[in-house]
Amino acid sequence: MASELMPGQKRFTVGAVAADIVLVVWFVFSLFPILWMFLLALKTPAEQTTTYFKFSPTFENFGTVLSQKGTDLTSVDFKSALLTSLINCGGAVLVSLAIGIPAAYAAGRWKYKGSNDLMFNMLSFRFAPELMVIVPLFVIYNQIGLFDTKLGMVWVLQLVTMPLVVWILRSYFEDLPEDLEQAALLDGYTRKRAFVMVALPLVRPGIAAAALLSFIFAWNNYVFPLILADSNAGTVTVAVTKFLGGGGQAYYNLTAAAAVIAALPPLILALTIQRYLVRGLSFGAVKS
Amino acid sequence: MVALTVKALTKHYGKTVGIDGIDLDVADGEFLVILGPSGAGKTTTLKSIAGLVEVDDGTVDIGGVDMTLVEPYHRNVAMAFESYALYPQKTVSENLASPLKSGRTGKYSEDEQKRRIDTVTKTLGINHLLERFPRELSNGQRQRVALGRVLVRPADVYLLDEPLSHLDAKLRAAMRAELRQLGQMSNTTTVYVTHDYQEALALGDRIAILQEGRLVQIDTPAKIWHAPADTFVARSLGQPEINVFDAAVDGAALRVLGTDLEIGIPSDITISTSAGARIGIRPCDIEIRADFSRNPGSVAVRGRIQLVERLGRNVELSIDLGGGVTMIGLSSGGPLAVEGAEIVVEVARQNIHLFEGAPEGTDSRRLGSAIAGAGRNGDGATTHAAQEDRR
Repeated sequence: MASELMPGQKRFTVGAVAADIVLVVWFVFSLFPILWMFLLALKTPAEQTTTYFKFSPTFENFGTVLSQKGTDLTSVDFKSALLTSLINCGGAVLVSLAIGIPAAYAAGRWKYKGSNDLMFNMLSFRFAPELMVIVPLFVIYNQIGLFDTKLGMVWVLQLVTMPLVVWILRSYFEDLPEDLEQAALLDGYTRKRAFVMVALPLVRPGIAAAALLSFIFAWNNYVFPLILADSNAGTVTVAVTKFLGGGGQAYYNLTAAAAVIAALPPLILALTIQRYLVRGLSFGAVKS
Repeated sequence: MVALTVKALTKHYGKTVGIDGIDLDVADGEFLVILGPSGAGKTTTLKSIAGLVEVDDGTVDIGGVDMTLVEPYHRNVAMAFESYALYPQKTVSENLASPLKSGRTGKYSEDEQKRRIDTVTKTLGINHLLERFPRELSNGQRQRVALGRVLVRPADVYLLDEPLSHLDAKLRAAMRAELRQLGQMSNTTTVYVTHDYQEALALGDRIAILQEGRLVQIDTPAKIWHAPADTFVARSLGQPEINVFDAAVDGAALRVLGTDLEIGIPSDITISTSAGARIGIRPCDIEIRADFSRNPGSVAVRGRIQLVERLGRNVELSIDLGGGVTMIGLSSGGPLAVEGAEIVVEVARQNIHLFEGAPEGTDSRRLGSAIAGAGRNGDGATTHAAQEDRR
């Protein structure tokens, strides 16, 4: 549709309409599971296996999910799992930022033989399936007493988030003209002050984008908390699936309600820093 | 009171040569201009002096102290970057206050800071922009703020990287004049980088010419203009560029190949018959006449004006000397300067430069001028200022 119309040309061509239809179909297809989850979360236990759209909605399920104390329906304390998730993911993001920002700055500014290989190596942690490392990790965690601890979860989740933070922020720092920090050096500021005073404020959009993305990645991680944690450090992703019963009765409507609740924190976070995010994602990606 | 000495400064970027063995001696309070095309290593030289580039070899000595390994913030130099390098998140006044607040360029009270910023912004005509952010300024204003950040505090050495390059022509000429008059500039050792030969000639106490990371010549503007070390230096100065013709030895004279332009070889210069020579004549040094004047101090040749282009006060002439040789000349106009006119081109001997013969595409060393005695350093030639005035 971006092309200019020639005189006498019609705005709506068959091709354009067909393209729009394809887009709408794709859109419905990809959003349908989410819609289904919302509907299911509003259904009563009696209706949880039905497929019709007309039913009397109830918000009871959310209350039931949040009041789980680990004794009644399932073995899970959902509220505390939610809190644990916040602590684990928040911790992982903070650790990744604290170490990742200086690392990204160094990687962006200091080029040497093999620096690209090192960066690529770091990214390869993300290529390997988590299941590949989970067995040795499980053994190690058991041995050194990190199993089912929040510290252990923060430690393992930052493996997921750190490469993301470093890679996103490195390109931001690379796009930042070096002259700016050099000017600060000649103004009489040390390298550290120049970094804090000049470079850091200018990559704030990048930090917001990296923090959000890595928070979502950590939040959605399933394999690590499933294997390396239990009731103490178990996260919300694992807790959601507990409503499926695991041998006992499956509560599909409660699972859906739990999933809706679990999706809220990243959504709220995304909306709050959206302003930075939109600018940030485009700013870092394209070299001006 | 600070002099700057740079010895054998060398910096390679991988396999690319940044600078290669640069030696500079800048006296206290001197204004040195570094001139060269892009990629010649001008900015690298400047950043090496500032300590922003880690050099591979060589030393930087500021005020008698070896600064080669000293951090930039301990060198007490101020620099204006070609890219302005203004802090985008700070206003103009915050940008200007930055060097005063670091504590390493001296201690300044709030009042003192205000007074200094006030003085410098008034001088540069940007005092109405104090609360603006760099993104709200035009390029010319940004450049002046960048200059202001240098001038706002005393420094041992000022380093200015193309500080006028983004200004429009009028403002540039005005700023060029102002820059020289700034009291601070005349008292502080300054290294000024430019690719504009007019800036170099107008501003520099001395000019250093760089080519591909090497220092080709360093001398006063007059010497550089009248006795360029080689054809590269000669071509770097002047617009239109100097005419360089290949010439062969013909008895006791040099003859520009294919033309009647013949120049007697002065007694103090020897030219090998096999290599031949090159003859350089600046467009502004020629005079067109209706007929030969038979002036013994000049060399003359017949030509035909092919093309006349008006450049404001002057006209640029393309003169066909025959044999496929075209000479570019500047003239103030007049009845002779018309297309198709048959004229005589006359050039004073001291303004004819002789260079060694060399294959096309390479530069060659200057031997002297076409008159004995005026020789190698160009003494006795008309001054550059007089020539610039004529244009």
